Parts: sequence; structure tokens; C-alpha cells
Amino acid sequence: MSKLFDGKAIEEIDRRKEGWQKEAYDPQKELDKTFETLSGVPVEPLYTPAHNARMDYLNDLGFPGQEPYVRGVHPTMYRGRTWTIRQLAGFGPPEETNKRYKFLLKEGATGINGVFDYPTLRGFDSTEPYARADAGRGGVAIDTLEDMSILFDGIPIDKVSSSLVTCQPICNISVQSMYFANAMMRGIPLDMLTGTSQNDFLMETAITVAPELLPPKFSFKLSCDAIEFCTKHVPRWNPISFAGYNYREAGCTADQEIAFVIANAIACSEELIRRGLDIDSFAPRLSFFLSSHNDFFEEIAKYRAARRIWFRIMKERFKAKNPRSLTFRFHVQTAGVALTAQQPLNNISRAAYHGLAAVLGGAQSVHIDGYDEALCTPTELSSLTALRTNQILQLETRVTNTIDPLGGSYFVEALTNKLEEKTSELLEKIDQIGGIVKATENGWIHKEISNSAYEYQLAIESVKMPIVGVNCYRMEDEELPIQLFEVPATLLIQEKKLKTIMKERDTSKAKGALDEISRCCDEDRNLMEVIVEGVKNRITEGEISNTLKGVYGTWNPPLF
Amino acid sequence: MGKKKTMRILIAKPGLDGHDRGAKVVARALSNAGMEVIYAGLHQTPVQIVNAAIDEDVDAVGLSILSGAHKTIFPKIMTLLEEKGISDILIFGGGTIPKKDRGELKSLGVGEIFSTGTDTRDIVDYLDRTLTR
Repeated sequence: MSKLFDGKAIEEIDRRKEGWQKEAYDPQKELDKTFETLSGVPVEPLYTPAHNARMDYLNDLGFPGQEPYVRGVHPTMYRGRTWTIRQLAGFGPPEETNKRYKFLLKEGATGINGVFDYPTLRGFDSTEPYARADAGRGGVAIDTLEDMSILFDGIPIDKVSSSLVTCQPICNISVQSMYFANAMMRGIPLDMLTGTSQNDFLMETAITVAPELLPPKFSFKLSCDAIEFCTKHVPRWNPISFAGYNYREAGCTADQEIAFVIANAIACSEELIRRGLDIDSFAPRLSFFLSSHNDFFEEIAKYRAARRIWFRIMKERFKAKNPRSLTFRFHVQTAGVALTAQQPLNNISRAAYHGLAAVLGGAQSVHIDGYDEALCTPTELSSLTALRTNQILQLETRVTNTIDPLGGSYFVEALTNKLEEKTSELLEKIDQIGGIVKATENGWIHKEISNSAYEYQLAIESVKMPIVGVNCYRMEDEELPIQLFEVPATLLIQEKKLKTIMKERDTSKAKGALDEISRCCDEDRNLMEVIVEGVKNRITEGEISNTLKGVYGTWNPPLF
Repeated sequence: MGKKKTMRILIAKPGLDGHDRGAKVVARALSNAGMEVIYAGLHQTPVQIVNAAIDEDVDAVGLSILSGAHKTIFPKIMTLLEEKGISDILIFGGGTIPKKDRGELKSLGVGEIFSTGTDTRDIVDYLDRTLTR
């Protein structure tokens, strides 16, 4: 036992605080507003040891790199190694994005964070009817293995770690396979590769829906196939990054964000154990992707609570033993949804606060948003400014000097406990429904998110949630002070490459590869095993997706 | 105010980007303001959207576009409507559509384009004003 405060002292503090409130605080005027966090947790005027009366230091907080990991996942945290600066980049054809990657690496980015265009994310080739208008938008267009080799041309993928934002499993199963196949063709053994892929089935079925979705249980299967493949062949790769960031962007509150990623991770763990894997063979590589939104302290408390919840679930529910299985490791992107199209330069300060919260919360890698992201894909200037903001945070502010500097703050500890409690309640509810896949199939998750998104909008419109430049301090007839990004021509370039490939490739080999994928679905084997080999026969992402849809069918999600 | 016909509005999210938060929030706000709202859901190609607008006999179609594809999608929809001889359906939109592109869209006959950060009550007012004229 290592209780921080003794009962007598707490009673005295409580008694005196009541006196202070009555005599000193209450007679003063409070501003006419509701004091609560962005996710609706009421916030009191002052926090004292009484809010943490039962805190047991060793059991509840411990030390960095040790159970329960609340204070950080590494013993040295940023004193040993600073967070990875992983700025998202991707647009147009792979030839153009390759240049941006090289630019960011030259300017000091320490990892690649590659985002794919909408057709690629949804499993379509650039030339398909649904896809044509969106080719090259929101990310880089990848149709075949050849595109992948152009994208990473001249980049030492045996040394630089790559995060592939292959959000949807239907995209990941092809694009991730192309990344691995490209490494094999460059003579780099798969066990040397380091990186992360997103691969989250909720992204496909609940967060950002598009036509021709795979049914949730098959999307979930593809996600687990990739985890299983990496566990066996690419041991240093994080095969999934549960995309809480995107759940938040779609409308979730802070507690929903961490509850849903953890529920998703629980489902994956159960499935992989069912397939015969040991929890400690794959759990060390499960990683998380979270948002950093406007409520500074709530975000910090969220990261700390997530570490404690994950530790307890892994230890108690799954009996994990490897310390790495017990640690909640996460990447943060600053909240795009918090950026404004109005007075866009203000977004530089917003994203800097978001980045600071991520780092005070112990993030392993951080992307800071460009100031123009509410208007367009970031320009070179806005990408560079975001990169520099990240570097200023790392090098100038000295927040890296000590570990978990807000640990022990009466407020932050109380809020951490509160978020843990709210998240645990949601996790219980999901367990009652029968797990996250069921909660998706029956639309519960869609409804939760949609309700939160609507409440958020009402809070803005009632000015309960002030947003500078939007519902206060507006400027009429504002002149846009920035240049907007124009996506380079993509469709024609991709179309030409696809035509050449169709003409030149060995048709029977391509057909054989697709047939093998179809057989693999029927026999319920691991799809990544065959797709990594299949893509070498120059089959396209769209062909692979169509084969999968041919066997699994498609699904219409519930709409709220 | 005299009794008037309930407005029917189709809200659609064309393209593949999947950022449907805004479209759904607007759909709910219009519905709460007493309009009949049809959310087009996964019917996302211009052809599907125009067909749905005709089948549902709507007064207006709101398109939410965040991918940057507005300069492809709006003209396509306007052309399809023209080909079908339809001129009494108001097309309006919103999303990440830069101010500088709005003039071009309006010259095609598109109505108001609402930027990110718009109050949903402004959209309700606009539809009230425009459709009851």
C-alpha cells in the first residue's frame, strides 16, 4: 500500500476547502458559462488532495516503463528518445508524393507517414467509375506494385520507418502487400522492415463509409489476416493502428474514442487467440492512433487513462506477460475537425496547443496539422510550418526535460480517473452487446457517433462552445491570406500506367493470382499470404477488391 | 404565415472520401427544422443522385464535398439535370470548397455554397427564403 494521503488530513483539507468556497469563492462572480470538459465532464473550481483521497501511488501510477504504465511506456521517455516526427503526406500520382517524402526527410522528419487517395483507401483503381473524380485527392494514388515501387524509390525503407495510412482493411490487404512485395523485390528481408499500417475495420464500416463495403465480419477478417501475417513474417511491423483519431473526427467524444479503439483491440486479440496465436506473440505490436482535440487537460488525461485501462485489460483479461503487450503505444495527429476555414493562420496556434497536449500525454509520435487543412491538401509551406511547430515543441520548450510533468496534478489525476471510469462503462456496454463487430453490425456504433457529432454542432451553434473566427470574433469579407494547394493531374497518369500494365502483363499469371485469392477466401485461409505473392503478377488493387467482393458480398451500413 | 407544403430535401455525399459528418449533421438539422429530408446514403455517383432527386420529387439537393472534387461533381450534376429537362430543383452545397471556386459553380446555376463552420440555421433560413419565394 502506498496511499498518498491519510484520512485525517483529507478530512481537514475538505473542511477547509468548504470554508474557502463559502467565504472566498462563492461571494465572487463567476462567468456565465458551464464549466465542463469537451466531453461533458463537469469541472470544479479547484482540485485538492481530497479529489484523489484514495490514490495509491504504486498501484495507480507507478513509474515510467513499469506497471501500470500511466506515467509513460518507456523508463526514459523523451530524455532517452524524443517522439518521432511523422508528418502526414500524400497527394496525386506516386511520382509527386515521392518528391514530398524526400523533402520532408531532408527537412528533418524522422519517419514517413503516407496517406492514400480516396479510391485507393476504398479498394478501387483510379480509373473505375466511382473513383475517377477522386483520383489523387486526399492522398497518393496506388493501383499496382509498380506505383508502390515509384512511391518509395530512393527512400531507404530498410532504415526509415513507414507508417502507411491504409485505413480500410480492403485497402490494407492489397497496399500493405504491395509494400512488402516491393521490399522483397529490392532484396530487403521482411524482418528488417519497420513501420505501421492502419488496417482498422471500423474505418471501413462505421467511420467513413463509401459504396460497396465489405460486411463487418469480413472486413474484420482481413484486418486480422494482416496482423497474423506480420506476426509470423514481419515481426518489427505494427500491423494495425486502431484509428481513434478518425473516430473522433467523425464525432466521438474523448471517452468514446478510447473505448472504441480498446474494444476493437479486444476483438482482434480474441480472434487471433482463436486462430491459435499466443497473446504475447502479437499484442506487443498492436498500436493506437489518437486525436488531440481542443480540451487541453482532458486530452492529457485521456492518454494517461488509456494506458491504465489497456494495461489492466491485457494483464487481467488476456493474462499477457510480455511488458510490451501491456503498454498502450500511440501516435497522435492534431484534430483536423478543430481547424477552421475562417482565418486559417489561427490554426497554427491551435495545432501547437494540440501538439503540446499530445507530448504532455506521452505520445510516441506526433503529426501536427497544416494550417490550411480545413481548405485543401497542405501546401509545401503549410507542411513545413507544421513540421517546424513540431520541432519547436521538441527543441525549444523544454517540456521534454522530465517525464509525465503533469502527473500528480490534483486536477489531471482526478480527470484521468474520471475518463477511465467513463471509458470502462462504455467497454462494459460493448461487451454486453457481444463485442465491437456485433455493435457495428447492429448500428449501435453508428448511432453513438452520429449523436455525439450532432451535440457538438449544437454546442457550437449555441456558442456554448466558442470557436474563434466561427461563432465569435468573425471577420466579414475576410481575404484569404494563403495560397491553396492544387492536386496535380493524376487520373491520366494512372490510366496510362494501367493500360501499359494490362497490355504487357502475363494474362494467365494474373488470372491465376486472382483465382488463388478467390480460392483462399472460400477456404478461409490467410489472404495476405497469397496477396503478397499475387501482386508480383501485376494484378491491380481494384481487381483484388472485386475478387473479395465476389466472394464476401457487400454491405449497406445503417444510416443515422 | 399561410400553410405551405413541407419542403423535401435530398442530402447527398458524392465521392469516395467518406467524410460524412457534415452531411449527416445538416440532414438532422433540416429535419429538426421541419423539412422532409432524404439522406442519399451510399448513392454517391452524380447519376444516382440525380435519379434519387427525381424519384423522391425533392425541392432541393444539398451536396457535401470535402475531397476537392467539387469542380468535377457539380458540373456533372447540372448537366444531368439539364439533359433530363429539370429546372425546378435547387442544387446547393457545402464542404471544403474555396471561395474562389464558388463563382464558377454559381455561374452554372448552383445555389449557395456553405463553407466549413456554417451555422445550420443559416442553411435552414436560406432554404426557407429560396424555396418559398
